[in-house]
Amino acid sequence: MRALGLILSFVRVSFQEEAAYQSNFFIHVFYSLLNLVTGVVGLSILFSQVQQVNGWDFSATLALLGVYLTVSALRSLFIAPGLEALAGMDGEIWSGRFDFTLLRPLNIQFLVSLRKWRLFSLFDLLLGWGVLGAALVEMRFALSLGQAAIFLLALFSGLLVLYAILLGFTGLVFWSPDVLFTWLFDGLFQMARYPLAMYPGWLRWVLTWIVPVGMITSFPADALRGALSLQALLAGLGLSALLFLAASLLFRQGLRRYASASS
Amino acid sequence: MSATSPSRSAVFSMLQLRGGWALVRGLWLSWLQYRSFFFLLAFGWMIPPLIAMLVWMAAAGDGSLQGLNRANLAAYYLALILVNQVTYAQTNWTVGDLIRTGELNRVLLRPIPPLYDALASEFAGKVVYLVFDLPVVAVLAMILRPEMHWTLPGLLAFLPALVFAWALRFLWGYWLALLAFWTTRADALLGLQDTLVFLLAGQVAPLALLPPTMQYIAHLLPFRYMLAFPVEVLSGQMDTRQMFTGFAMQLAWLLFSALLTLLCWRLGVRRYTAVGG
Repeated sequence: MRALGLILSFVRVSFQEEAAYQSNFFIHVFYSLLNLVTGVVGLSILFSQVQQVNGWDFSATLALLGVYLTVSALRSLFIAPGLEALAGMDGEIWSGRFDFTLLRPLNIQFLVSLRKWRLFSLFDLLLGWGVLGAALVEMRFALSLGQAAIFLLALFSGLLVLYAILLGFTGLVFWSPDVLFTWLFDGLFQMARYPLAMYPGWLRWVLTWIVPVGMITSFPADALRGALSLQALLAGLGLSALLFLAASLLFRQGLRRYASASS
Repeated sequence: MSATSPSRSAVFSMLQLRGGWALVRGLWLSWLQYRSFFFLLAFGWMIPPLIAMLVWMAAAGDGSLQGLNRANLAAYYLALILVNQVTYAQTNWTVGDLIRTGELNRVLLRPIPPLYDALASEFAGKVVYLVFDLPVVAVLAMILRPEMHWTLPGLLAFLPALVFAWALRFLWGYWLALLAFWTTRADALLGLQDTLVFLLAGQVAPLALLPPTMQYIAHLLPFRYMLAFPVEVLSGQMDTRQMFTGFAMQLAWLLFSALLTLLCWRLGVRRYTAVGG
């Protein structure tokens, strides 16, 4: 209960900070639309040349793009801002301002993960849902309640994987503060725009086992195509829980290494 | 400077090359200290064309699309990744900041034209980025086995096409960035430029694979001449007439953007009132 109350006040404070810069909202919308156009136009060019690529046709790939946009929106809504303030450019670990965060009487992982919200990203979430809806119409696919539930579970497990990877990469900053690990992840995450099946074997392997970016979007998209078995779903949920635990441990180990910064 | 080379030193001081070179060297040395940062930037810029390459290669399968097979696509995109890095003018993103924060004062006070400041960071940047890009592209080339049909005219024309492409992309972004003299949000136009370069300059797909209307638009607008054109010249896809038309378009857009840059600079610097503190 207390946690929920805290999250609500984090959201309120973030909103007050953002609402002060109204023109930022329009710039944000502008960039979101550019991002949407790039994605959709890219897919329509691809599928104007071929019917399908390695078993993925236009509607299925569009659904995957919808999942990608949805996950990215959620990421920049509440996962990324807090962690970026910690480990991004000029972040707290680098500058030593993390001292003040550490002094708060709260679970540190909870605090750094949820303290900042970028509410403008709610607009991106709408765009993501729009693309998902369009893809479902294109597929002529009536989503039953059970399938919707499986999709939501798969989406949740994808998000958990995303959070775990981001937290893990953030934790690495404690070991080498001058490398922007989250930027490295940004590059890899872009690869989740397309289904893993379109990449060559070696890259597929890396994106499945080393940095499981592929799971974040392919999993929910498979659920929408009806290509996700119950066993796979359960395995995915288990794996994401495991990753979450591992990342939390890594982050905690990192915290111990933190020795502030002074000039 | 020895007394025997007065003409050389005169040329040097006329173009202020010595000052420019000092700026390049200084920036380059200071940037190498933060190389992991710049390597990460280069990594991020490499990813979108890399994804497009892999997806198109999967789409081509064992056959070919509009005459391009897997090996051709790999060659096209590996060349594009390098050309993209050489022509991408990241400096333009900081020009607006200089104007907004009042940092421009420092640049204006130097005894050489402020354009040199931007050029210096351009050159210094290219070297640092290419230190990252070249080995990565070499490794990718070993994995992907690209094939390109070199032609002598293509090879000879590549260098001027590349230099003009860089100059065009730089100046086009520079005049957009200079709009920061009038509005604080000129950066968004740079974002738009990046998107148009992605869609119309052969990144999302080689121009031959675009739908006809889009291809037509791409040939008219300046963006193709910032990136795809040098790569197409290199890969010998064009006949002589297409090549000449391409160069004519490229130079026309280059001239136009140079004029716009000059205009924006002249008018802008006149209304510039520094922000300071």
